[in-house]
Amino acid sequence: MTDPITTAGSYTCRWCHSTSDGTNTTCPACGAPVNVQLRTTDSGWTQLPAIPDMARIQFGQSFCQVEGALVPAADMNLAAGDSVYFSHHVLLWQDPAVQLSTLPLKGGWNRKMAGMPLVMLQASGPGHIAFSRDAPGEMVAVPLQAGTAIDVQENHFVVATGQVAYDWFETGVWFTTSGGSQKSAGTGLKLLKVGLELAMDSEGSGSDRGGGETEWHYPLGQYIDRFSAGAAPGLLLLHAGGNTFIRTLAAGETILVKPPALLFKDPTVAMQLHVEYPRAGMKFWRSWGNRYLWLRLWGPGRVALQSSYERLEDPGSDFQRTSGHTEYRW
Amino acid sequence: MTDVTQRIECQWCHSQSRADARSCETCGAPLDIKNLVSDSGWREAPRLRDMTEIHFGDSVCQVEGEVVPVADMNLAAGDAVFFEHHVLLWKDESVGMSVMSTPGGAKRALGGMPFIVSVASGPGRVAFSRDATGELVVLPLHPSMELDVREHAFLAASHTISYSFVRMKGLTNILHGGGGMYMDRFVTTGVPGLLLLHGYGNVFERSLGPGESIMVEPGGFLYKDSSVTMDVEQQKLRTGMFGRHGLYLARMTGPGRVGIQSMYVHHHTD
Repeated sequence: MTDPITTAGSYTCRWCHSTSDGTNTTCPACGAPVNVQLRTTDSGWTQLPAIPDMARIQFGQSFCQVEGALVPAADMNLAAGDSVYFSHHVLLWQDPAVQLSTLPLKGGWNRKMAGMPLVMLQASGPGHIAFSRDAPGEMVAVPLQAGTAIDVQENHFVVATGQVAYDWFETGVWFTTSGGSQKSAGTGLKLLKVGLELAMDSEGSGSDRGGGETEWHYPLGQYIDRFSAGAAPGLLLLHAGGNTFIRTLAAGETILVKPPALLFKDPTVAMQLHVEYPRAGMKFWRSWGNRYLWLRLWGPGRVALQSSYERLEDPGSDFQRTSGHTEYRW
Repeated sequence: MTDVTQRIECQWCHSQSRADARSCETCGAPLDIKNLVSDSGWREAPRLRDMTEIHFGDSVCQVEGEVVPVADMNLAAGDAVFFEHHVLLWKDESVGMSVMSTPGGAKRALGGMPFIVSVASGPGRVAFSRDATGELVVLPLHPSMELDVREHAFLAASHTISYSFVRMKGLTNILHGGGGMYMDRFVTTGVPGLLLLHGYGNVFERSLGPGESIMVEPGGFLYKDSSVTMDVEQQKLRTGMFGRHGLYLARMTGPGRVGIQSMYVHHHTD
């Protein structure tokens, strides 16, 4: 019996579905190893195969080599005329000849990362430039076919080729609580924006109790990044903490995930906040005992998770308002 | 029977080992595995096999574990190693402990704790590890070598190596305030020594020719031969502004070796 995937000297990558001549040990479009069995769990998640050390990915006339296994670096060999863009904190090293410039971003001053304005830099070939993140995990290569897009949880983007358009929008997944005396919940969190009373005040909602400020919580971050390929295909590299798992949801099919574990999703996948209250939950045990925050994703489309993620902060106090949520009481 | 006169040279540290050795006796690098070198010329630091043994003086260091490797020293009488206190993992009761005098060290601090270089003396066992996923980099120093290392990155060094440090200005990532950092300097004179570093994430090395340069994000710098110069340069971006902080990269210029780490963890220096 012939393997339909490797007939007639052509190879279709099981991961990104790009075709190649099958003579390499890895897919030239995404770096996934050739001739590995898809590892799918009984529950339906497919484990993304790690890009083998020193594997090469081609884009345009340029190559990206993925180096290392613990915290892999993406080493770009940019041809003249090719360019990539990246957030400044991922730069590892570069040839002195590589030209850097800032990438103009519409409204970019609204975005912050660790207190700094988000600055996207563009690097133009010829020359080598390499990128890495600051946590153990995997480099995930997502080739974008012309006309396709994916949504990526913020802070996972590493680098994209010049043809890929970058935009972002509000996640629309949030809730507010009364700040009151729970100041301890606000230390050093990216997921939590404290003290924005403006929205509540403008709508005249006087439900603040105990004189506290309204706290806004964004379990998924306030914004989500969207990367899209126009007429030309492009390459997107993401960093996933720990291991990466992916599944395709059928139309209307849903799954609940821990919000910070989301790595990326197809734009066709919708999101909503879901809250569960355990039956034996003790109401006074507010900080972690009395509810679970979930992100409900529903298809059609792909969903990718990372196994290592930041802690989700929830002060545990009652919601004032939410972006629209469902709940279930056990 | 193995011909005892045959020796093979390690491509990492250039020491010679018995022809039938699977790992270099001086640095532990596997001798039967192909070097991993990128198209851009970086060589991956050898991935040490779990339980590899390295010999120095009359002592042996065994490297244990692979995600956060441990250096487990069996110190002979008369041998000693020095280290920063935060890397200690465990020791035999008999291993003697003392503090090295480090001129100017009182001004350095790590996480609010005073900067102290301790010395452990044999006979007995003492083990070291660091606080994050990474690689153990074994750098045997041949006589008359000088190596500069990112602060707090050295795990342990044998007592035949002399130690000092210099303060570098502007060498911190813009995300962390850019206050400057120290660089540790390790020097051997007539006797070889063993230096163990811990690099966060993966570690890569390249050799720069005379006058050859590479730009490195300061957070990625791990070590260099002292013959390599390091200058912090603000990048001239063709358009726009980069806030008030600027983008700073370290220009490393040869001749000599440069080592980098792929994961940046910042230790605040006051």
